[in-house]
Amino acid sequence: MAAVKKKIGRPKPLRQRIGENKSWQKASAIVLPLALGLLIVLIWQTELLHSWLDTDTFTLPLMDKIGSIMYDNSDKIWANAVDTLKVAGIGLAAGSLLGYLVAIFAALLPRLGQGSLYVIGAFASIPVVAMAPVLNNWTKDVSSDAAVRSMVSKILVVTLICAADMGLNAYRGLTEIKLYSEDMMSIYAAKKRVVLWKLRIPNSIPYVFTALKVSVPASIMTAIVSEYFAEKITGVGRQIRENIVLAQYSTAWAYIATACVIGILAYVLLMAAQTILLKRYH
Amino acid sequence: MVAGSKRTPENVLPHLHQIIQAVFSGKKVSGDMTAIGLVLSSAGLTLFRALLGFVVGAVSGFILALLMKLSGFVEKLLFPYLMLIQLIPVLGLAPIILSVTGDINVSRVVIAGILSFYPVATNTLSGFKAVEKDKYDLMFVYASKPRELYTKVLIPSSLPYFFTGLKIAAPMAVTASILVDTLQGDGGLGCILSQSLKHAMSIYVFWIIVFVSALIGILSSKVIGWIEIGVSPWKRTGKRSRKVRT
Repeated sequence: MAAVKKKIGRPKPLRQRIGENKSWQKASAIVLPLALGLLIVLIWQTELLHSWLDTDTFTLPLMDKIGSIMYDNSDKIWANAVDTLKVAGIGLAAGSLLGYLVAIFAALLPRLGQGSLYVIGAFASIPVVAMAPVLNNWTKDVSSDAAVRSMVSKILVVTLICAADMGLNAYRGLTEIKLYSEDMMSIYAAKKRVVLWKLRIPNSIPYVFTALKVSVPASIMTAIVSEYFAEKITGVGRQIRENIVLAQYSTAWAYIATACVIGILAYVLLMAAQTILLKRYH
Repeated sequence: MVAGSKRTPENVLPHLHQIIQAVFSGKKVSGDMTAIGLVLSSAGLTLFRALLGFVVGAVSGFILALLMKLSGFVEKLLFPYLMLIQLIPVLGLAPIILSVTGDINVSRVVIAGILSFYPVATNTLSGFKAVEKDKYDLMFVYASKPRELYTKVLIPSSLPYFFTGLKIAAPMAVTASILVDTLQGDGGLGCILSQSLKHAMSIYVFWIIVFVSALIGILSSKVIGWIEIGVSPWKRTGKRSRKVRT
């Protein structure tokens, strides 16, 4: 953008000269968001935000109060966070695996497999709000323990949501292959199995990460929403709702903060995994 | 035994023909409404509210992407937060947004707006960035003003990306609207969904809702696709844009 403005040849204003300074460009990418973050904290802490939103410190507690509640209830919050993480993690793993297997199936047998991709896609387009109670009903016979069966139903919801995303992306990764490499494989008289292992699967790895970038945040959000409908009262999402019903808004905010931290940490982990794995392949 | 545990077939999964029968039966389930009439009227209510949030979110997402393209300062300031917003489980915040805003309709628009805001903003921004240098050069040769550069080149070429964002956002806005419905009794699909689950009315209403909401989810992104083809004639040649998901 800056280069374009230069070509048009207008005299450079001071603002642009600052903008083209290399060290400022690097620093500003960190300094500016930090400054905005500080500003938000300031607005929040000085209760300016409360007067804008026309609310009070009871429904929207100050940040230090949320922090101290998180610290005081750390055992309970940790236990609930583990429950949510279990649901999101197992569901994500199972769903991604299922989606990937369907994608391989569809890549090998396009006629049969593409139909199953559509089926998964159709399942995922049912809103979570409608899917969670259905699966709750279906899993009543799984176990006599309410904790186990509500866990299973929550995991199933997350699985279905993640499977579609992975299936559609991995299918593109397995089939959108550079033309010459497929030709080369046929010149080598490679078996289908070899083509799959040496060409298709490595080619699909970046697509897998594209899918995960969507499905990791989605799995956490789905886990939280399906907790609303589950039988057993546990998990970060359910605690948000329960505490609001009890009008303990600051505790609810502590759980909201936990949910945000979980979401951000999961994404950071994914990014780290992507950097390590993709380096190996490229 | 079976009846006592509420594990009757119509609770677990009724036959498809039973659900279809329920759709066409004239039996009144609530007041003077038949099952399908009730579901459709609530679906209309839910859709209308979702649409409001969706439009607010999409318009503000597009404007933000434009601002970020216009000014590197705004981009640097806000881009990390744009990434952060999508990591926050916004649907989980539904109850607290309700208690902060105090009004169910405002909170519905806010949640549907936030959810449809970030796919639109990120996709449109990558659309602006994907414009080739040749096009800038050509506009320079034409001695075009910056305003013309935006109206003639940048905005039209970002449209496919914008619509990709809309396609992701539309089902999310519908889900958000249904979820907010379940929080407070105010009509709408989510409200009668929780009512029929608690057996306040025929359980078949619940099953009809499951199918209707799935249909709405699928249709909402299809409709966006049709609108896209309607407003961008170059799409009708069968060329498809690459999907961008960030």
